[in-house]
Amino acid sequence: MTLGPITFAAPWALAALAALPILFLVLRASPPPPRKALFPPVRLLLGLQTDEQSRERAPLWLVLLRALMATLAILAFARPSIAPPASAAPGGGAGSTLLVIDDGWTAAPHWSDVRGASLDLVAQAERGGGSVSLLLTAPSARPIDPAGALTAADARGVVQRLDPKPWSPDRADAARRLAAAAVRPSRIVWITDGLADPGAADLARTLERLGPVTAITPALTARAIVGARLSDTGVAVDVARAPGAAPQGAVAAETADGRSLGVGPFRFAANQTRAQAQIALPPEIAARTARVRLIGEQSAGATRLLPGGADHPRVGLADPGAAGQPLPSDLFYVDRALQPFAALQRGPIRDLIAGRAQAIVLPDQSRLPDADAAALERFLERGGLVVRFAGPRLANESGPPLPVALRPGARTLGGAVAWERPQSLQPFAAESPFHGLAIPEDLVVSRMVLAEPGLETEQRVWARLDDGAPIVTAAAHGRGLVVLFHVTGNPDWSNLPLSGLFVDLLRRSIAFSGRGETGAARPDAAAGPYVVTRAMDGFGALAPAGGDVASIAPDAFEAARAGPRSPPGLYARAGVAAVIDAAPADLALAPLVLPEGIARRGFDGPTTLSLIGPLLALALALVALDLLVSLALVGRLPRLPARAAATALALALALAATPEAHAQAGDDPTLELRLAYAQTGDAATDALSREGLAALSAVLRERTAVEPGAPIGVDLARDDLSVYPFIYWPAPPRPQRLSSEALANLDRYMRLGGMLLVDTRDGGRQRQETNRPAAVMLAGLDAPPLEQLAPDHVVSRAFYILRAYPGARGPSAVWAESASVASARDGVASLFVGDGDWAAAWSGRGAASPRQREMALRFGVNLVMVSLTGNYKSDQVHVPALLERLGRER
Amino acid sequence: MARGAAESLVGDMPGALLEARRLAALAPGAHGRRRAGAGDGFWQYRAPAPEDGARLVDWRRSARGERLFVREREREAAQTLSLWIDPGAGFAWRGGDDRPSKAQRAHVLALAIARAFARGGERVGVMGRVLRHGPRAADALAHDLAAPCATEPSAPPPRSAVLIVSDFYEGEDVWRRRLAAASSVGAHGALLMIADPAEEDFPFEGRTLFRDPGGAGASVTLGRAEHARAEYAARLAAYRARLRALAGAHGLAFLAHRTDHAPAPAFSALLAALSERRR
Repeated sequence: MTLGPITFAAPWALAALAALPILFLVLRASPPPPRKALFPPVRLLLGLQTDEQSRERAPLWLVLLRALMATLAILAFARPSIAPPASAAPGGGAGSTLLVIDDGWTAAPHWSDVRGASLDLVAQAERGGGSVSLLLTAPSARPIDPAGALTAADARGVVQRLDPKPWSPDRADAARRLAAAAVRPSRIVWITDGLADPGAADLARTLERLGPVTAITPALTARAIVGARLSDTGVAVDVARAPGAAPQGAVAAETADGRSLGVGPFRFAANQTRAQAQIALPPEIAARTARVRLIGEQSAGATRLLPGGADHPRVGLADPGAAGQPLPSDLFYVDRALQPFAALQRGPIRDLIAGRAQAIVLPDQSRLPDADAAALERFLERGGLVVRFAGPRLANESGPPLPVALRPGARTLGGAVAWERPQSLQPFAAESPFHGLAIPEDLVVSRMVLAEPGLETEQRVWARLDDGAPIVTAAAHGRGLVVLFHVTGNPDWSNLPLSGLFVDLLRRSIAFSGRGETGAARPDAAAGPYVVTRAMDGFGALAPAGGDVASIAPDAFEAARAGPRSPPGLYARAGVAAVIDAAPADLALAPLVLPEGIARRGFDGPTTLSLIGPLLALALALVALDLLVSLALVGRLPRLPARAAATALALALALAATPEAHAQAGDDPTLELRLAYAQTGDAATDALSREGLAALSAVLRERTAVEPGAPIGVDLARDDLSVYPFIYWPAPPRPQRLSSEALANLDRYMRLGGMLLVDTRDGGRQRQETNRPAAVMLAGLDAPPLEQLAPDHVVSRAFYILRAYPGARGPSAVWAESASVASARDGVASLFVGDGDWAAAWSGRGAASPRQREMALRFGVNLVMVSLTGNYKSDQVHVPALLERLGRER
Repeated sequence: MARGAAESLVGDMPGALLEARRLAALAPGAHGRRRAGAGDGFWQYRAPAPEDGARLVDWRRSARGERLFVREREREAAQTLSLWIDPGAGFAWRGGDDRPSKAQRAHVLALAIARAFARGGERVGVMGRVLRHGPRAADALAHDLAAPCATEPSAPPPRSAVLIVSDFYEGEDVWRRRLAAASSVGAHGALLMIADPAEEDFPFEGRTLFRDPGGAGASVTLGRAEHARAEYAARLAAYRARLRALAGAHGLAFLAHRTDHAPAPAFSALLAALSERRR
């Protein structure tokens, strides 16, 4: 039903308006309750009469307000909308409508307008009961036949799914298709992109012959980037426009993953159609540019691809995932050095390989977990690049992959392989990939791992020290390459990571990552067509190519223009990337000129406006108003805020109180310090461990400020060990190798700074050198180098002053992680290995005498103290000197 | 209701005392009877006049010197002030948060008057209870006032001053009876009518149901309260005129006070009205 410009989609709802007079009478007859007032001199009011009229009836204005509320709601339910004036919809939508849409990239910047206008026209046709035919001017592999008259509902579906094509419209072809279709529309609307093309006049004539034509043109026509190249100062970009398009703007350079590198402005001189923008970037940053985009215009023409920019190698940094300080970390310097030249990822090795990394950087690590080692092996076989750094772990125990065999132990200044003074580098040899790089004068190497000398080693050296020792070696491994830096990736062993040379060395090393494409098979070099790898859509976004894209023969590629058979995007042939652009370099944009007979308007013409929302909103606002008025009439309004505040407060208090009610003290190891022992699976051993630790806990509670709870047994493979500062791991009668999960868990525990006491329990017994339990227990563990506890180790004075480290049967031999290796944890050892059979000694079962037990307990107390306070007591040796100095100053 | 009002009054009493003390300081000095007369307290020695008989000479004092002394005593005209404050719930009502209730104001004024009288050495008391005198009379009285007064003012002591504080809305007949009882024993004094501004201005509008806070069940619904404003004002004025005439007939002053006005002028007027009749 139509009422002037207003159309009702559900006119039957208007019947409810007939009930309004009744509503009016009912409302009028039911007055609001009287306001109540306390009034002591009420006696004086007795018999007083006022206006009878208003006493029993609601005030007229209130009734009118409520009637208006009802009217608005009824009108809203009738689903009214304001349709465009009849002049904008010739024929009122009846009969058939021919919708001509320019759907090339030139329409993409104002595509929402195009779609909105199309939907409006379809809606008009729907109201008039007419049909719709569509003619899309951009070429398509499967064009829509303009002869097919669609119902309005179908047409709406088609229009809603319509997206601009990434190439220009071909109106001559569209005119041919239209002529062939023999369609007789009662009205024609042409939604243009506002730009001329050779077939425009053709199409206009064809349309005019068919019927009255209205053309909709955008206010500002599309602009395009017609050229982009790297220059010495950054990226130079050529921008084209039609006369009259927006005169200024900016272009942005982006990496392949969409990060913006820089922005450059441009401005067209008056009447000029070309302008140039400079994006100022350092060359190495500019080299990462994968595409250039016109800011604020999303279209295929306003995006230009640079084939070189996608070529950054994907480098993975193998991060064991341990929490550590960033600066001493090996990877920190590598990360900083490679950031401008590579797409970096961080994570466990297997994730990196799954993420298609082309090179993997391994920080100091002695032996990889089996699964990782196997994955790395396959990665190398396929042609991957592995860059390794040495360090104390590698020096202690070397595991594959390595380019050269290593001598155990590190060469230190003043160490076994003595140096008189720290060394620098020799100039790089001609056959080294590093040839030509300048060596800074202050470069100093103070520590390194040594390669076993030999002919093979000599051939694999990329860089040498002054004395000829190899410092960087590399060797092929399968199709891949392994590069080893014989120093650490952090400045512990040399100041190489602090120098600019480090960046160049890494950059040149990473360049070898192109030896084999990991993951996707590389197309064979010899022949084959160009195949699109990433195709662009009409808005300029890249997506993996669809299925029906034909490849382009190499000789035709140069001449190929963007079209349905050769969509713009990234192409590849034999590993060489190439690009087809939506906007060719010789693109000339000109405004569309239409014949006189065609009516013109812009997108901002009148559109259908639904009135449901505003009407309902108004009705709801009136409801709210009525509520306030009602409250005011009964005198409740002034008290409302206080009450609301009280309610809100009560609610807030109730909510705040709730979590407290849930907080319960449970069996949470973080709430109480507990000594832990590793469950060995042997019931007797576990019972002894528990008993021993219980005795130690009792002594700690009695004598020290440490008040541990009951000891707890932990499963090394499954439990979260990080909550236990001290774990006692006794050797069971038949030790077994740990599972890989347990090994990883223990590795992580020690790296986090936990303390593990491994007790081989064979002290004082007859030694069988062949089958020491420690060898089995620690097999596979990424164990740091150990050294025997010196008499002045911090354990000897953490609480009691000990001269030896007693176990169950006399002094025991205790080994601990050497302080130099534990530098990340301020020299606090996290691994102690001994043979004292301490659990037996602490529980008193195995001790030879009460005194022996007491001494063993003292050792245990000291160990727990070290696990909780670190090397605090070592610092205490300076206290007398500090006190003396303080006294002197006074 | 009455009990609640009483409790709230107890809570307010220290504040009322303070305010009463401040008000009492306004009383113009010690009033009155600081002169020689019949009484027990020493007043002064003076030289004997020819008309004084030898009986009046204080021989003990005179023996210490050459001259004769006559010992004079201070006159004690021990007057009595009886208070009654309306204990009704309607009196404890207030029309808005920005002002005290009528009863609160009544307590302040009554205590101030009592303090001023007690300082003059007179006896003060709540009707039907013990009379207080001495320097702490006002504080003791405050304690007495913390409990609501009797519902009916009882007969005051003969020839005493009475102070009756109420809103006087019970009706002319009730008050005629009460005042007759008081005046029958020769009492003089004042009636203080305290009104809430809402009771005088009648600020109500629209359809309103009026209820007596006393819970007497009386209620009136007015369709348009604003139209009743003029009629109400006329009725109130007429009622007050009749009360004033009634009070005059019994020899009592009739004073009106609004709770949104400062209490000081009412205190002064009250003090003047009570003192005037005493002399």
